[in-house]
Amino acid sequence: MKKTVIGGLCAILLSAVSTLAHAETIRIANHGQSGIDAMKSTVEKIEKKYGVTVEVVEYPAPDKDYLTKLLTELGAGNAPDLFSIPTTAAVADMVEAGYLAPVTKEIKAWDGYAKFYDVAKQLAVSPDGETYVMPFMLGIQEIYYRKDVLDKAGISTEQPKSWKELLDRAAEIKKKTGAYGLLFPAGVSWGSGAFDEGFQHLIVGSKTPQLVDADGKLDLNGEGVKDAFDVYKQLIDNDLMPTQPLLGPEPWVVPKYQMFPAGKLAATTCGSWCYIFDWGRESKNPIPDVTKVVGTWTVPGQSGGQYVLANLAAPWAINAKSANVELAKKALMEIGSVETQVSYAARIGNIPSSKDAAQNADFQKLTELVPIHAAAENGTFLKQASGFGTVAEGVARATEALLRKETDAAGAQKILVDYVKETLGDEAVK
Amino acid sequence: MLASPNSPFERVTELSMARNVHERRTERQLLLILLPSLALLLAFVIYPALYSVYLSFTNEALTGAAALRPRFVGIRNYARLLNDAKFWNALLVTFLFVVGSAVIGQFVLGLISAVALRRRIHFRRLFSSIILLPNAAPEVVAGFMWISMLAGGEQATLSRIVSFFGVTPADWLQVFPLSMIIIVNTWRGIATAMILLTAGLSTIPNEIYEAARMDGATPSQMFRRITLPLMMPTILLYMLISAVSTIAVFGLVYALTRGGPGGATELVSIYIYNQSFTAFQLGYGAAVAVVALLISLVLGIGYVRAMKVEV
Amino acid sequence: MAVISPSENANKTRSDLLAYATLSLISIFCAVPFFWVLIASLDGNAQLFLRWPEQWTFANYLRVFTKEDGAKWLFNSLFVVGGATVLVMVLAGLGGYALSRTRAWWKLPFLYAILLIRVLPPTALVVPLYKFLLTLNNAEGAILRPIFGEYTRPIMRWTGFIDGYLGLILVLATMQLPLALWIMKTFFDGLPRDYEEAALMDGATLVQRIRRVLIPLALPGLAAAGLFAFMSAWGDFLLPLIFLSSPELQTLPLGLFRAFLRINEIDYGLLAALAFIYLLPAVVAFGFARRFLVQTFAGGVKG
Repeated sequence: MKKTVIGGLCAILLSAVSTLAHAETIRIANHGQSGIDAMKSTVEKIEKKYGVTVEVVEYPAPDKDYLTKLLTELGAGNAPDLFSIPTTAAVADMVEAGYLAPVTKEIKAWDGYAKFYDVAKQLAVSPDGETYVMPFMLGIQEIYYRKDVLDKAGISTEQPKSWKELLDRAAEIKKKTGAYGLLFPAGVSWGSGAFDEGFQHLIVGSKTPQLVDADGKLDLNGEGVKDAFDVYKQLIDNDLMPTQPLLGPEPWVVPKYQMFPAGKLAATTCGSWCYIFDWGRESKNPIPDVTKVVGTWTVPGQSGGQYVLANLAAPWAINAKSANVELAKKALMEIGSVETQVSYAARIGNIPSSKDAAQNADFQKLTELVPIHAAAENGTFLKQASGFGTVAEGVARATEALLRKETDAAGAQKILVDYVKETLGDEAVK
Repeated sequence: MLASPNSPFERVTELSMARNVHERRTERQLLLILLPSLALLLAFVIYPALYSVYLSFTNEALTGAAALRPRFVGIRNYARLLNDAKFWNALLVTFLFVVGSAVIGQFVLGLISAVALRRRIHFRRLFSSIILLPNAAPEVVAGFMWISMLAGGEQATLSRIVSFFGVTPADWLQVFPLSMIIIVNTWRGIATAMILLTAGLSTIPNEIYEAARMDGATPSQMFRRITLPLMMPTILLYMLISAVSTIAVFGLVYALTRGGPGGATELVSIYIYNQSFTAFQLGYGAAVAVVALLISLVLGIGYVRAMKVEV
Repeated sequence: MAVISPSENANKTRSDLLAYATLSLISIFCAVPFFWVLIASLDGNAQLFLRWPEQWTFANYLRVFTKEDGAKWLFNSLFVVGGATVLVMVLAGLGGYALSRTRAWWKLPFLYAILLIRVLPPTALVVPLYKFLLTLNNAEGAILRPIFGEYTRPIMRWTGFIDGYLGLILVLATMQLPLALWIMKTFFDGLPRDYEEAALMDGATLVQRIRRVLIPLALPGLAAAGLFAFMSAWGDFLLPLIFLSSPELQTLPLGLFRAFLRINEIDYGLLAALAFIYLLPAVVAFGFARRFLVQTFAGGVKG
């Protein structure tokens, strides 16, 4: 008994002494091994600059599980101070749930803000007008095509100017080379890919380019939606894109990592990371001379125009219930620095949001990304709203029905609308 | 205690009273040692289950507006799910899945293994270790292993095996989805059946078989008239346990088919996941779970009554 | 033993052959999917589909322990799951006995309730469980912080309910309790009460009865319950994912996710190597428990 008392007293003394030298701690959550690696130097910088201890909690899990864990903790009030959000679509819902702390003032006052591309600034603003995330990286997708395959068959490699031209080009490829002409991710197995990497690129260039109306309701009954589904239908019905792999698990493995390098698939949508990680120098099966062999087109609009759709890639946000909100905000600005952006770009292959990155020596080494970075100047975006995650799932299901040839474009639209209404209630859909 | 009794009557009374007191004390002691288990189960299993029942009447979600201000919505979740054809489909699929893999597949193969392993042959330890392997593999890994086996059309391992024998491979998970997942789940659970049934088999004394053999009984007769009836209690215990475990299977099937194609393999657990966790809706998911639980309960009680098992 | 006639001998050999044949077929069925894991783990450039490696290498295995924290994960998994298994065996051993001998009216409903609750998918239970454990955790923190100040965090790593060994062990153990209780109760049901009666006549108390008589008899049942609990907890990744955050506490299944590098890119070689390492303890546990298993329900299901 006496020993315990003495031990306790010693501990109290120790803690009293050490409290004087005790540094504040902030917890940062990150996921995906590459993201964790990319943040290492930034974490060190934050620790040095503000004299705090940064505890990085790594949630090495796929997006869905990471989000589940993060949301559970946010709901219970036990989440880390700073965290990255795997997809833009999740942000609006988290704002509505009151999980994120607004950073509008701080971000506008921060000197890096002025150097951001407009599209990044716009994407960061939530429907209620406040900014809740640091939009430091952009995800930009284009159509990647095999120049060599097209050249050999004498097919034009010019940028297609409309949906019809795009489809015609794909049909030409099929006819003259026998290879699949164009891949748009579709189906349930691809998860949110059907929406993220396919559908949304079509929508921005369509007759009804936005999915959210002024009231924040989801406008899914527009003609553009139907027409976008029709593009899918034509690709599928005319056998211009591989369908079998998309119906099974790991649907991207066969088309992107086998068919495309082998030239059996001539074009596919992909993100800026594809040049480096899927088919380039960091890939396991690189295509030799990839920048010469693989070219890029932007997704054309329905009847013209070029649309470079940008999404927020891994936006960072602050836990509204954090004990150290002010400190977290300062750390957040650090994450927005050009150095961090370049570090991410090198490891994950997304595009830095800051125009200044173009002058950064390390970034210039990523030659494949430089032109895409410049293209972000004219980036467009989809206005985000609560419920986008459900929309993405609805699109996945609608395209699944198209893959199975069970319906047509109008039917696919109905599937989407019905699903969203069922899940979120009738009031959510216009 | 009482003073020494004199008459036999008093003696008996004293003994019986002592036993009553003793029994009550024993009961209390028994309850005492059961207490830690009870406490843990109540806190970590029963409470969350009851809370889920409560959630099923709300529109609680992990994110979105409902996360901030959940509302009590009465039986709206239940109405929605009972009206959903996909829910009933999920029940049917789950039923077929349980019957196919647990009641038939695992049981038959487990029984054969158990019976075969009783013979004095070589390599018994090797055989039983190999048969155990599927159960030892964690779900995530088992999922990838079978993706490698079944997906990808011609590249799938199964396709290669089959074409070796001259059969044209198909896209297995697309053409035979339900059969495939039944096979995969059977593969996974043979060991459980084998272990339980081996134990059950070992309760049957060899003498009975000897006697039967001397009477000229054939192996199949011995099996039908001796083995099966005497093993009934084990078999029923196995059925109960495996049915419950199979209903809860999620990860393995989700990794392979995500519940597709077109809901052909959408088990109740996957239906819950697809319906609720894609949109992070806890309320709806809880409602489906509760209904699944009720149905299992009804089936379980009916099953036990029908078999008249003594527990 | 009667003389075995030649025809009976032939029958025996035929039956033995049949046994070999069926066991071989079943074993092949069980083993084939594992070829991919084995080969991919030794492949420098492993793919999802089975292929003959161009370069055979142990690099994947080395990476698990050098570049990644394989040793730490292994230790954490063994510690947590081992601890949970021991806890389950103790509680189920005691509880199973109590359930077998008690005449409480709620015995049957309770047993069925806990078994059927397993039907509920864990995802439905996780959120309320998390909130509950968080409350406990905060209470614990409130008590410990004034005493230990700075050191509360390291201490809570061991005793905390969220992000602590204690909480995870308790939750994992509780999830396995229903099945274990059933097994032990069934087992004790079949144990003849003569031994207990004898001990009772000798004036032994409940505790003495347990220690001297029941534990030795219960060993087979404990082995079965323990084995099932171990294998089930060993494969669980959802609970560690939700309840753990600190890198020091990560268990092996979470380590598996390290192979998920980018959105659609998985390092299959690393995954396979980790999977192989993951398999071994379960196989060892089985080999260890095998000896006891055969007698397990012998007593339990008799009559």
